[in-house]
Amino acid sequence: MLFLMFFTGHIRDPNNQLQTVKNLRICVNAVTTNPVSSPAVLSPAQYRQLGEVVSSCQPLEGAAATSFKTGDYNLNLSVTTPWFEAYRENFLQSMPASEHEFLNHYLACLLVVSSTEAVPVEQFLKLSQEQHRIQHSGEYTHPRWFIPNTLKYYVLLHDLSEGDEQRAETVYEDMKQRYGSQGCYLLKINSRAVSAEEDEQIPDPWSQYLHKNNLRYQDPADGAPAAEKGGGASDEEGGGESSCPNNDPLQLEPDSSSTSLVDADVKKARTDTEGVAPVAVGRGSCLTLNDHDRIRQFVQEFTFRGLLPHIEKNIRQLNDQLVSRKGLSRSLFTATKKWFGGGKAPEKGMSEPKSACGLLYPPEAPELQIRKMADLCFLVQHYELAYSCYHTAKKDFLSDQALLYAAGALEMAAVSAFLQGGGARPYPAHYMDTAIQKYRDDCRNMVLAERCALLSAEILKNQGKYSEAATLLIKMTSEDSDLRSALLLEQAAHCFINMRSPMVRKFAFHMILAGHRFSKAGQRKHALRCYSQAMQVYKDRGWSLAEDHINFTIGRQSFTLGQPESAVTAFRQILNDDSKQTATQQAAFLREYLYVHKSVMGEQVKSLPQLPLPCILSAATRVYFGHEPRLAQGEKQAATHVSLDQEYDPELSAMWSRLEEQLVAAANRGIVPVGFQPTQCCLNSQTDNLRQPLAVLNEPIIVEVTFRNPLKVSLALSELSLLWRFSPHVSSLSIREPVSEQLTGEVIGNEETLTTPNLSKDDIVTTEIIQEFHLNPEETRTARLKLLPHRTGQLSIVGVTYNLSSSSSETTEEHYSMELVVRGRQDLNIQGPRLNQTKEEKMSVRHGTDRRLDAIITPPMPLMEVFFLHFPSALLCGEIRKAYVEFCNVGAVALCGLRVASTHPEFFTFGCNNPTPSSPASAEHGSAYKTFAATVQPEIPIDGGTLHPGQSIQLPLWLRGPDQEGVHEINFLFYYESTEKGLKVSHRVLRHTVFICASRSLSVQASACRSTAPPQRSADSIGCDGTLVFVDVENVNTSEGGMREFHIVQVSSSSQRWRLHKYINPDKDNDCKLSSREKAKLCFRATPCVPLPASMDSVEKYIFADLNLGNEQIISSSTPCRDFFFRCCRGLELQQEDKTSRTGSKNKTVSTPDNCTSDPAAIAKKCNELDLTIIVIWKAFVVEDSKQLILEGQLHVALQTIGKEATSLMPKEEAQEMVLLKFKSDLPPPVALPSPEMSQLIKTNLHYPETFSHGFLQDSLCMVPVTLTLSNCCSAPIEVLIDLRHRSTSAESLEFHSLFSWVGQSQYKLLLRPHEVLSLALRACFFRAGVYNLNTARVFAKPAQQSSMSESNQQAASPALIIINST
Amino acid sequence: MAVCIAVIAKENYPLYIRSVATQNELKFHYTVHTSLDVVEEKISSVGKALGDQRELYLGLLYPTEDYKMFRKLHNSFTDVMCNPFYNPGDPIQSKAFNGVVSGMMVQTG
Repeated sequence: MLFLMFFTGHIRDPNNQLQTVKNLRICVNAVTTNPVSSPAVLSPAQYRQLGEVVSSCQPLEGAAATSFKTGDYNLNLSVTTPWFEAYRENFLQSMPASEHEFLNHYLACLLVVSSTEAVPVEQFLKLSQEQHRIQHSGEYTHPRWFIPNTLKYYVLLHDLSEGDEQRAETVYEDMKQRYGSQGCYLLKINSRAVSAEEDEQIPDPWSQYLHKNNLRYQDPADGAPAAEKGGGASDEEGGGESSCPNNDPLQLEPDSSSTSLVDADVKKARTDTEGVAPVAVGRGSCLTLNDHDRIRQFVQEFTFRGLLPHIEKNIRQLNDQLVSRKGLSRSLFTATKKWFGGGKAPEKGMSEPKSACGLLYPPEAPELQIRKMADLCFLVQHYELAYSCYHTAKKDFLSDQALLYAAGALEMAAVSAFLQGGGARPYPAHYMDTAIQKYRDDCRNMVLAERCALLSAEILKNQGKYSEAATLLIKMTSEDSDLRSALLLEQAAHCFINMRSPMVRKFAFHMILAGHRFSKAGQRKHALRCYSQAMQVYKDRGWSLAEDHINFTIGRQSFTLGQPESAVTAFRQILNDDSKQTATQQAAFLREYLYVHKSVMGEQVKSLPQLPLPCILSAATRVYFGHEPRLAQGEKQAATHVSLDQEYDPELSAMWSRLEEQLVAAANRGIVPVGFQPTQCCLNSQTDNLRQPLAVLNEPIIVEVTFRNPLKVSLALSELSLLWRFSPHVSSLSIREPVSEQLTGEVIGNEETLTTPNLSKDDIVTTEIIQEFHLNPEETRTARLKLLPHRTGQLSIVGVTYNLSSSSSETTEEHYSMELVVRGRQDLNIQGPRLNQTKEEKMSVRHGTDRRLDAIITPPMPLMEVFFLHFPSALLCGEIRKAYVEFCNVGAVALCGLRVASTHPEFFTFGCNNPTPSSPASAEHGSAYKTFAATVQPEIPIDGGTLHPGQSIQLPLWLRGPDQEGVHEINFLFYYESTEKGLKVSHRVLRHTVFICASRSLSVQASACRSTAPPQRSADSIGCDGTLVFVDVENVNTSEGGMREFHIVQVSSSSQRWRLHKYINPDKDNDCKLSSREKAKLCFRATPCVPLPASMDSVEKYIFADLNLGNEQIISSSTPCRDFFFRCCRGLELQQEDKTSRTGSKNKTVSTPDNCTSDPAAIAKKCNELDLTIIVIWKAFVVEDSKQLILEGQLHVALQTIGKEATSLMPKEEAQEMVLLKFKSDLPPPVALPSPEMSQLIKTNLHYPETFSHGFLQDSLCMVPVTLTLSNCCSAPIEVLIDLRHRSTSAESLEFHSLFSWVGQSQYKLLLRPHEVLSLALRACFFRAGVYNLNTARVFAKPAQQSSMSESNQQAASPALIIINST
Repeated sequence: MAVCIAVIAKENYPLYIRSVATQNELKFHYTVHTSLDVVEEKISSVGKALGDQRELYLGLLYPTEDYKMFRKLHNSFTDVMCNPFYNPGDPIQSKAFNGVVSGMMVQTG
């Protein structure tokens, strides 16, 4: 038993100087004679005990975590390490007393006898003899005694509750007589009755001193208390205290114990020596406060009257002895000085056997006397004297090669030098190093070496020499004791962090080493703490391997310590992201994680845990509203609509929204409503997700979640499904977050039910579950998860839930992996796009909201499905095909307002089911023509306009192959509304995309020229005469399979002013056949029609005229033909407008003067305007699969102007020429008019007799009348100048012309009114017979009022030949 | 020659780290990380003594004067930094740098 008390006393040194002894501690131990183990190693029991001490001493929860900042490191550390202090304390106390030093040896002996003893004096005698026997008989080695004549102090213990006080007093008087009043004491205790039941709690007075000793009871080795407390640096007293071991040899033999202690019953605390049973019962409960005082007084008495004088006396004695022996000086100081000066230590007479540690001295050797004196001085805190003695002893020992002794002396010399303080002497650090080295290497005594190192480290730390301390501590770690190594490493780590420039990384590294050793020593909590502290340094700094290692260890340790939550967190971090671990390592991590997780799950089932794997790329999440589009059903082809398989294309979506806008505008009388928002069926990261999407009741919501497996092992997910929250009330509040108070009860989620899967909430929202989902190593895969809402309200998709397990490819692990399945969840949190509008947004990283997962469920809407029947995939250019389209309302509500828009409106037409009553076809000259107003059909004709639920309707759909060959993408957008108005969803749309491959069929080129025939001859004599139209048709089909022969069945015209009048093919072969690469030219005559009725000018009227070449007549004004004409022409016009606007915007110089009438160019243009569309209707005979097919088609050629060639094949869009950037504006182009246009203003005809006979013999001059007919083709007055004089002569025509001349007025100046025809009578004069060309007249024309304008030469007509016969 | 070569960013995270034997990788990483303390110490002492001198070579942490390692490595590192496509602070993923480092590493079969 140990008993310490602190006192302050005084002692006189050998020089009679008064020395203060502060904080003296007294250790009291029971005397045991049991042998102790060798001091070189600790027994396993001691190790165990130290382990227990360390593990029982844990850092307090949340205590003393000081934050520590250095560089960019911000650490939270506990500065104190109480477990280490406890270890140190315990370690030092468990040191057995060794031979080479006296510090653990007993100084005095308390002999205690109870007053109830019959003859106490006799007992004292007995005890005294016993003590003497133990010390001097040589039988026992164990209780080592400091000085041969040990101080005996006789104590009579009197139990006030039992014994007779009077008697005790008498005995005490007797004792005083016998032993002197300073050598004995009467201690009265237990003034209180044993009434332990009394609940008045007096604190156990011994607890303070005994707290560590319970454990030690059963340990036989706990003989001597450690005496030195040299390393007091960490204590508050600052190293000022010392302690004095002092012994209380209460005999332990059974017989004597009865004498001494029988009376001291259980509760009589101080004397309950050898483990009187109920330790747990509070000691000292019979002691009153008075008793405490008495005990304190007793110890004080003992110390001051007995112990200190005893020590003082002994020091004096030893000093005298030494001085006299050396005979050199009276003063020890001078003597020591002499010894310093090289005094020999000749007393080596006793030839001792050399042990492993060098010499062994007999107990009375003078060297040991010095050491003894030094130790005594040290105990009473006379460090100066102690140091000099130690120093002397050290020299002696060293010269004697007594290594163990020398090491001890060195150690103590260093300690006393340190404790001396005050800079009297520099601290001899090398002493310690030498001591440690000698202990360890020479004496192989690790225990002592460790002690020495601990002391040294404390001293170094106290001096601020942290790096040396750390080195020392690290040096002391070894393989033999994990606990010690761990503690020392941890201390070293603390040293590193406490350095002036803290070495954070070294700290961390040594913490890890310490943690490792702790875990090897079974100190899990300490290990975990070490790793956690080290983690602060490594965390998030890219040292991924180290981080993984630490996390893994933390996870393991936390799990074994029953902190599965932190284990799970640690493991999560390992599995988090791009780990550089190998696949096997990752598999191990994963397995461990799952295992840990599973055990956590077993405990708490309340909420699903968040799983770290696999990674969800939440930004890539796509949400699709509606049914998945069905594919072909038999020969029915469903509308493609939108599907998740399609990639998002911003251009396409812009196109669709443009189409939708068109439709919405059409449905709302041309105005797009303000809040128009294009329908988005599929939401992804690029779509506009600012507002909540609308989903329709009973229509599925499909969420595509992208999973990425970051690991190099495959993962198996199962029972994958979505987590949602539903609120029947639509509010702007997000219900993603855990429910706020007022909403509780309204918000329903499926998170809870999923833990107990049999209880599903299918009546609100049906959740589809994917049973198996496998992710290969480092694979990214998407899963489509479906929800089907059954109630209106707000539905938020919160996350996904699944079972995670590591998929085992090996079959052997099958059952094992089956075990390791963890159910968990991951939330889907989608960040909106980064905001970049305001300055703050640019400065910081802010994200917009993304509400694609927060859908609003609206009441049911109609749902239309569109099917196409006989829809071709390839067409000839211009081919007309009839297909059927079926509209089917599969929703629960009737639909109406069905419309369609397309990117290629000329591609298709819905036939009119109610054909317009055909106006009586007037067949004139084989041509039939009709007049129609150009109409546009916006709506798809449905009977009644509505389509009821379940109803379907089939309509014919005419298709016409695009004019250009190649693959065409044609987009349809069907639009429909619910019959109920005022819903959130105003309309719905359905998309369809087809690809049509167009192959070449016929190429039609048409040109028109003014017929030169004089107007009088033409049948209809209205204004200007007809126009000749030449149509070149070429079979340009190049298909190798199937011979194709094209028949031109009919040529029709459509124009506002013109019509085809007559087919004037030379050889009248009506049926025009063309096989491959053949070409035919068809000639027609077109005539202008009745002038447009002015009243109808708002609606453009078109005149259709048909000229059939075959036997059958196709009425071009009826459904497919006319529709396509309108659609094509409109398309063309649009295109041209588009083009001109484009060029116009680029090229500003093309500016036309406003008043067209005055502009000669415009006039000329107008004059040449034709605006006639030729429709060529053909039939093609194709052999396909040994079947002959007849395909029909029509081609359009729009003739704009006379003389200009037009073709059905669109010229390939020329790449827009790069316009050089010009810095100077171009000079305006010269005003010179393009001659071809201006030369067409006037048409001239010469009328004359073809042959003319004249008798030149009679009259040498032959006069022939010639009429020149001038007709103005324009709608503007034209000034004409006719010059009959011969043209500027060219060489060869000279003689030709000179043969005749015009007579009469040879120059005319005329003004022709619009469309006026004027005849001029001319006369030609011939001199001889021959053939003459009369067409020599030059006609200049210019629009009237354009005086400035130079007249332009009119077209030179073909030679007009006249034959003059001579008779 | 070398068993582990690392380039560490100013903020103490590795830009590049490579070691020979895979089984000891963790240990090497720990060692490299711990040696940063020594580097820091050297830097602080150099900074005090010499002011703003542009000497980048801190001297040897360990005597390896036999091999002209630092110059080679630093030249290569400069090349990496000069690459306009390299974003300072990113882990180094350069073939050339890798090659230089491989040349400096212990050649183990």
